[in-house]
Amino acid sequence: MGLAAQKRLRSTISYIVLGIWSFVLLFPMYWVTITSFKNRIDMSIKATYLPFIDFQPGLHAWNYLFVERLTWFLDPFMNSVLVAFISSAVALAIGSCAGYALARFDYGGRNNSIVLGFMSQRMFPGALFILAFLVMFRELGLLDTRLSLIIVYSSGAIPFIVWVMRDFFEGLPIEIEESAMIDGANRLGVLFRIAMPLAAPGLVAVFVLSLIGAWNEYLVALTLTFREAITIPLFMTMQVSQTGYTEWWNMSAISLVSVIPVVAAGMALEKYITGGLTFGALKG
Amino acid sequence: MATETRTYPRRRSRFEIRDNLWKWIFLLPAVAIIVILLAVPVLWTLYAAFTDLHLYRIGDIETKFVGLANFEKLLSNRSFWRTAQNTVVFMLGVVPAQLIIGLTVALSLNNITRGQKLFRTWFLMPLMVSPVVVSFVVGRMLFQEDIGPINDILRNLGFEGVPWLTSPVWAMVALMVIDVWQWSSFMILMLLAALQGVPPDLHEAARVDGANQLQAFWKITVPLIMPITMTALLIRIIDAFKVVEIIMVLTGGGPGQATESVTLAIYRTGVKGGDLAFGSSQAYFLLIVLMIFGGAYLVLTRRAMGKD
Repeated sequence: MGLAAQKRLRSTISYIVLGIWSFVLLFPMYWVTITSFKNRIDMSIKATYLPFIDFQPGLHAWNYLFVERLTWFLDPFMNSVLVAFISSAVALAIGSCAGYALARFDYGGRNNSIVLGFMSQRMFPGALFILAFLVMFRELGLLDTRLSLIIVYSSGAIPFIVWVMRDFFEGLPIEIEESAMIDGANRLGVLFRIAMPLAAPGLVAVFVLSLIGAWNEYLVALTLTFREAITIPLFMTMQVSQTGYTEWWNMSAISLVSVIPVVAAGMALEKYITGGLTFGALKG
Repeated sequence: MATETRTYPRRRSRFEIRDNLWKWIFLLPAVAIIVILLAVPVLWTLYAAFTDLHLYRIGDIETKFVGLANFEKLLSNRSFWRTAQNTVVFMLGVVPAQLIIGLTVALSLNNITRGQKLFRTWFLMPLMVSPVVVSFVVGRMLFQEDIGPINDILRNLGFEGVPWLTSPVWAMVALMVIDVWQWSSFMILMLLAALQGVPPDLHEAARVDGANQLQAFWKITVPLIMPITMTALLIRIIDAFKVVEIIMVLTGGGPGQATESVTLAIYRTGVKGGDLAFGSSQAYFLLIVLMIFGGAYLVLTRRAMGKD
């Protein structure tokens, strides 16, 4: 077999592998989408696969969610939005300042150790925190509040932000900052007028990643909230336990509404997100 | 821990004197938050593990120190060992599968020229979806025993429907499939990043010297992607040991206790049952196991940092 033929074969096999895995990832998404347009009758006897052929799609799950029960769904949705945005913004402000500091200042030669101290959080199991958080927030009278989730989620995102942003700031040329300081700018001005704008891609990536993390988090929300401050994942499982897994179409519609914003954001910012996700190892 | 001395360019010292204040203002909030919300819970849980603390009795009666009683209870508790076993089985099922899928797909991605960005973007999708939704959609809907598509297809092919959620073994398999569906992408993206760091001329040089494709792969590619692969594996092992959310949604730990993970057991005893002391001792058991893998992860990370 010639080299060109070998190359063609390899690339064909590669596309087949990629096609198979893409299909594996696509099928559940396809299934939840068509199920959100199904009626009770379409799901009572056997599986149906193709809209208009196997079953007649209808909008009644969407109608149920956005018209009949909108207020019922809106509360957890707004909780998720508020908690995710506020906690990510707080984490970004605090974490990126620390990341900058660790990139530009010398802490007695211990900068790497400080960063690793932040990163050690990765190995602590969530199970270790939920018990302490439950007691802490109960004593503070903050159970079932959005504030409790905001506090926990921002502290959870900070180590990752410090880690990524420190590296990002280290990659920026120091000369611009130096000349600005010679011209009389202070450190705060340098950070906000020079370093932060230059680091915008990194800031966007870590912000979106912490947003997604907070949006999808379940275990802490389950422990700390139960009625007023519940987020979408918790709302979903509560619905499931009330309806006993029978109203598939409504659950599918809720799933899609909760998934589409974050998946769209993540995929739109693919370049930065992949960088942020694989960051730790990229340097290895 | 050994400290490394970073050698900074000399000219930087001027700034250090001038803005010593900012140096601390920037760093301290992050440190303070992590100390309060990381160190305090970790230490409090350690304290709780040596007491008889109970959620519904806090403040009512005085908390007693009970020494190692909780850990003795833990070691002789068959139900706990069952959850530990389940967690290890889960990890041993998902991590190798993710490595194999990750390597196969990443090699394929690295092989193609057209459409690479498109596939990469699509493969990011599962990582953005919440485990609750993944478990609901993949687990509850696709594996549904009567009208789910997987059993439907199996029946159409002439097989029996599989009791996905009612059989202990198949329920575990279903959970593994969910995790593999979601997290293989992480392996793919990490390994692709590693493969793209392998200089193509090295590979070609080996081929010119007469090595075949497989030899070149084992001798050149594998050693070069090893550090990133190890890091990715450690991250996945740690995360697999923490599994809980997909289990809560799909099986709730059942049938019986067949799919209950350690974290789920901690939630059940500590949060739901209120037995903070026993829950804490289980959490510490998990932490000690994770520290072994986490320590290795930190060592690798530190080594990577030293290279920059």
